[in-house]
Amino acid sequence: MHKLKSSRNLGFFVVFGFILFLVGNRVDELRVYQGATIAVYVVAISSIILLTGYSGQVSLGHGALLAIGAYSAAVARDNFHAPVVLTFVIAVLAAAIGGALLGVAAARLSGPYLAGTTLALAIGLPSLANQFPIFGGEQGIFFDVGVPPASLGEDFTQYKWFFWIGALAALVSTWLVANILRSRYGRNWRAGRSNETAASLSGINVAGSKILAFTISAGIAGLAGALLSMTIGVVSPSAFPLALSFSLLTGAVLSGVSTLSGVMIGAVTLVAIPEIADVVATRLGVSETLTTNLPGLMVSSLLILTVLFVPNGPIEQHRTRHARKAAKEKN
Amino acid sequence: MKAMNRRKLFTVCATIAVASLAITAIPAQAAEVGVSSTEIKLGMTLPMTGTASPGYNKIPAAVKAYFDYVNANGGINGRKLTLVVKDDQYVPTLAVAKTNELILKDKVMALLAPLGTANNKAVAAVVNPGARKIPVLFVNTGFSGFADKKKYPTTFSILPSYIMEAKIMAEYIKDNFAGKKLGLLYQDDDFGDDALAGFKQAGLNFDIKVAYASGSQGDKVSPGGWITKLQASGAEVVILFGVSSATAAALGTAAVMKYAPQWILGSVGGDATTIKASGVPAGVLYNAVGASFAPATTDTADEYVKLFQEIYLKANPTETFDNNVMVGMNTAFVTAQAIKAAGKNPTRATLIAAIEKSGKSFASAALVPLNFSTTSHVGYNGYWFGKYSPTGDLKPAGGVYTVYTTDSGTGAVVKSTYKRPAMPAKGLPN
Repeated sequence: MHKLKSSRNLGFFVVFGFILFLVGNRVDELRVYQGATIAVYVVAISSIILLTGYSGQVSLGHGALLAIGAYSAAVARDNFHAPVVLTFVIAVLAAAIGGALLGVAAARLSGPYLAGTTLALAIGLPSLANQFPIFGGEQGIFFDVGVPPASLGEDFTQYKWFFWIGALAALVSTWLVANILRSRYGRNWRAGRSNETAASLSGINVAGSKILAFTISAGIAGLAGALLSMTIGVVSPSAFPLALSFSLLTGAVLSGVSTLSGVMIGAVTLVAIPEIADVVATRLGVSETLTTNLPGLMVSSLLILTVLFVPNGPIEQHRTRHARKAAKEKN
Repeated sequence: MKAMNRRKLFTVCATIAVASLAITAIPAQAAEVGVSSTEIKLGMTLPMTGTASPGYNKIPAAVKAYFDYVNANGGINGRKLTLVVKDDQYVPTLAVAKTNELILKDKVMALLAPLGTANNKAVAAVVNPGARKIPVLFVNTGFSGFADKKKYPTTFSILPSYIMEAKIMAEYIKDNFAGKKLGLLYQDDDFGDDALAGFKQAGLNFDIKVAYASGSQGDKVSPGGWITKLQASGAEVVILFGVSSATAAALGTAAVMKYAPQWILGSVGGDATTIKASGVPAGVLYNAVGASFAPATTDTADEYVKLFQEIYLKANPTETFDNNVMVGMNTAFVTAQAIKAAGKNPTRATLIAAIEKSGKSFASAALVPLNFSTTSHVGYNGYWFGKYSPTGDLKPAGGVYTVYTTDSGTGAVVKSTYKRPAMPAKGLPN
């Protein structure tokens, strides 16, 4: 039964990938670039959904885990000329190790204490890069995945290449996450989240399962970090501000923090917000300071509104309403 | 049932994704990107907000004021010049994102005066205007590396390089302050490295060098630490080779800490308006040495200064006409000539060719010539030194501009013999 489900999932991901491929060929360069950014957010948000939605651990510092992935990929590429695929693997492993260490601490913390710890990490870790010359200080280091292979043709742009790499990575990682969540580990996490005592009474190693969740989530965040630095080409502390961590969290909340299938909603919204802010700012002709801060303001407002009105995200909300309706009809 | 639902939801998500991506189709391409029958669109990135923005955030208004002046006089072959400005907060990653927007969304013909060494390097590496054949007119940085035509085939610099500036500054120090204890404050990135290379080339040794971190995070700015180090070393002559905000912070803190060496301000940060606006008493600035390639902004006898000031203050009556404005308007003036020289229907390719072919003969307000050719994308190559007046205006010593010129290599520093030609009628491209 389990096997059957995952293969059906695989079919969906293949079809979706094919749709993306078709769309990528039909839209202009700007949309392709935005598509690549959406892919980055999909990966990052799915990592938060796994951690927060399923294993019940809060992370306000996912930006730091992205930074670990980004820096390790860039250093591997820039200093050791590692092949691109390997740099992504290195990013995943490095961030996973970081996540495991953090997970050990996290297993002893909960609620506000965990939030505070991860928050401190998000603030502190990126600027640590300023202390070591290998990380290039404030100016950062370049992360260049290279030009697309010549066999793809002259018209195949760099951004389409980013989009292909990003979309493929997003599809693979989301498929993996979807399957992990439905596996024994996913069930353990949900059990631990609902009631730790009950979970351990039924034989689940709650602390171990929490650390595992942190490790996997961090690995995926590391992949997102490497993808992010691919699309912007530079890894520097300023690429991982606190605002990034909050944006990702907002994306997860918008997606419905415990519904992986909503991940596109959060990712598309995060890419759309700066666009909308830009249109609004141009229409209103507001001051430069407001223009700069408008996207942040919109993200924060959206977070508050979502928590107030659709706390479980639009998909879960829709599902509950549907279930209620069905139950009513039954009666 | 649940699986069914999930599948439906996946389909919904897929549809949303496809629809949102497919909203815009590929538009029909005009003759050249950014050039229509009525308009030529240029794009600029620079810090409009954040710690590094003071001073530089006046440049867009300066450029726009000159463009509007040209537009009011019939534009360039009937086309209006317009400028799209994006705020990069002096952060390379933002500069990359904003340049992408300028190219992909606003579809500008060329990038104009993008500011910052690190930012321009990041943009060159990632957005790669060179490979896209997009002209980068007159980067607003003196990093000598941008002169490398092979690496940056579409990039033109206009400011003298930091290496040139450092070499000329070293000459000035040897002539005027020989034997004094020397201190240097510089930015800890390529901007600073270029300056260090120039000082080294000139054989100038410092008793103390203090680096400060670039970037937007204000909490890292700790001028108290810089001044303590400089003061402890006993430096009698101190060069501030940083951005305006860092220069202002250093001067302000030194005034508080009662440290008053002979200041020498680099051209990048020697912006009196910003320094005064940050609360530094004019007395601190008085007698500090500064460098410029343009005529002094108070020199209203100069035909360019007179015209530019008139145009700028008409458009921005409450602002101060200062060196950032002067240089910004001069860049706009050179740009207008380049576009005019690019032909009746300018393209990106003809624009680059026009600057290479006739850039040398473009009129400009500077007291040094432009050096563009098919082999060189380097603009100006010299500076004059002067002192700040009690009101904080940079004026040449004795009222005479003594201009020195050199190169970014091993060439000597020599006195310039350049005589600036008269301004074209009404200051419009001819």
